[in-house]
Amino acid sequence: MLIHLPIAQIAVDPLILIAIGGLVGFLSGLFGVGGGFLLTPLLIFYGVPAAVAVSTQANQVLATSIAGVSAHWRERQVDTKLGTLMLMGGLGGSTIGVGVFSLLKYFGVVDATIAVLYIVFLGVIGGLMAWESVGALGGTGGDPGRRTRLRVWMRSLPMKRRFPRSGLYISIIPPIGIGFFVGILAAVLGVGGGFILAPAMVYLLGVPTRVMVGTSLFQIIFLTAYVTFLQATFNGTVDLVLAGVLMVGGVIGARYGAMAGRKLKAAQLRLLLALLVLAIAGRLVYELYVAPTPEYRLEETT
Amino acid sequence: MKFRLAIIAFAALAVPHASAQRIDSRDRPFMAAGLAEDIVEVKVNYSGSRIVLFATAPQPENETSGMAVALIGPMAPQKMIHRTAAGDQTIEFVAAPLVFAVGAEPQVAASVAPEVMIEAGLNAQASAMPRSTQLMSPDLSAWRAAFVDLKMEQGLYSFGDTTIERLDGGLRRAKITLPLNAPPGEYRIRAVSFRNGAPVGESEQVLTLVRSGLDATLFDLSRQHGFIYGFLAVLLGVSVGGIAAWFGRK
Repeated sequence: MLIHLPIAQIAVDPLILIAIGGLVGFLSGLFGVGGGFLLTPLLIFYGVPAAVAVSTQANQVLATSIAGVSAHWRERQVDTKLGTLMLMGGLGGSTIGVGVFSLLKYFGVVDATIAVLYIVFLGVIGGLMAWESVGALGGTGGDPGRRTRLRVWMRSLPMKRRFPRSGLYISIIPPIGIGFFVGILAAVLGVGGGFILAPAMVYLLGVPTRVMVGTSLFQIIFLTAYVTFLQATFNGTVDLVLAGVLMVGGVIGARYGAMAGRKLKAAQLRLLLALLVLAIAGRLVYELYVAPTPEYRLEETT
Repeated sequence: MKFRLAIIAFAALAVPHASAQRIDSRDRPFMAAGLAEDIVEVKVNYSGSRIVLFATAPQPENETSGMAVALIGPMAPQKMIHRTAAGDQTIEFVAAPLVFAVGAEPQVAASVAPEVMIEAGLNAQASAMPRSTQLMSPDLSAWRAAFVDLKMEQGLYSFGDTTIERLDGGLRRAKITLPLNAPPGEYRIRAVSFRNGAPVGESEQVLTLVRSGLDATLFDLSRQHGFIYGFLAVLLGVSVGGIAAWFGRK
């Protein structure tokens, strides 16, 4: 059975879309990432126009993040105070990021910049996480050590507040700064930024891995709702039928992902996320430097 | 959903024409033809369609007589980019068919020259119209060939899916596949009859592909009431996520 997508204007198999949504939802619940960086290429590979895929994934991620965060919420593993601070920084950063994106577009270097930024960030973050978590697996398998040089410096910053859920007493400047930086990247790269935010929370702020997952999803909810609204209102590229079908698989996958996450050690969780991030980086390197680029292409008119 | 196509009956006979010479298009006789259905509705369960065209070939016929059919449309501007060592080059076709499906009987394919097919409007390679300033460009044929290749990759141009059957009394039945990703709009179905490598009769029908039901409602809402559509999109995400969270608690 096929269904016709009104905005994408193609017919698709809903079972395949449910499977794609389920896979991405599972990873979202497991790692606390939105999964947009995985969902968008999967949809494009399936034949959905890129403009529709990019916009609609935000709507699907919104639903899976709500489903995923609920399990963490009940277990009191969502630091709303920290999440709100990062969200404030993120909204400011994404506004600046839209301007940066326009500048890159004006100079005609947007595609190359995005690809290189992706590779650098994914490669560095994935590599460092893998290195640390492999080392941690040899020990207790818990969270990384709390006294690093960077964190000692961060503790010297003013405007300190307590974050009881995360067990932190830190300045509000780093969470806002991280949110701001991730917001810029999110706008430039067109993703939710969870795959950057999640390791930044663990390694820079010292948030326990399990609280990080719930808090990251908490922030993603608001960010994706904002993006969905803007894309649907101003571009009309959100396909509600596509989003609805993806959500069915996504919310089921997110529940199972959250359950699977509870059975893993924190270091195992970080290692798996690191491998996923490195795999995406590897794929981008392949696409940029190895795979043949088409000589001719049609510019999308969606 | 497969559309049930009701067969319309017609019994008009084509004007007999025995000449083997090329006939000017103004003097080319009208060929009686009709579509089984001239409106196709695109609903949420739409998964492509088969268009059926009946046509009568001009008499008398010989061993070179045959028919070619093409589904063409809707026309829209298309922009193409060519990546070269010196940088990207761009061409804009001011009007090019988004869908082009053509089929011909074997004897037509063997006896009709490509330029005759172009003149008859049945050659996809010549269907994309560039700006007047680029009409004499030496690269135009390469651009057009690449355009056809890209459209074939998208499944919107096809050259082997259309079948033409001979029925009694010189009647032909052509079945043309309308791809599942065909955009709504107005399509032309051209049928041209050939004899001795030259066109001897032609017909053109109009087929309209329209959105209907939920498909049309959502599309119109997204284009005409973006604010409401954006609100609905967020509401859908929150509702589905909320329901899943509620079920997860149980």
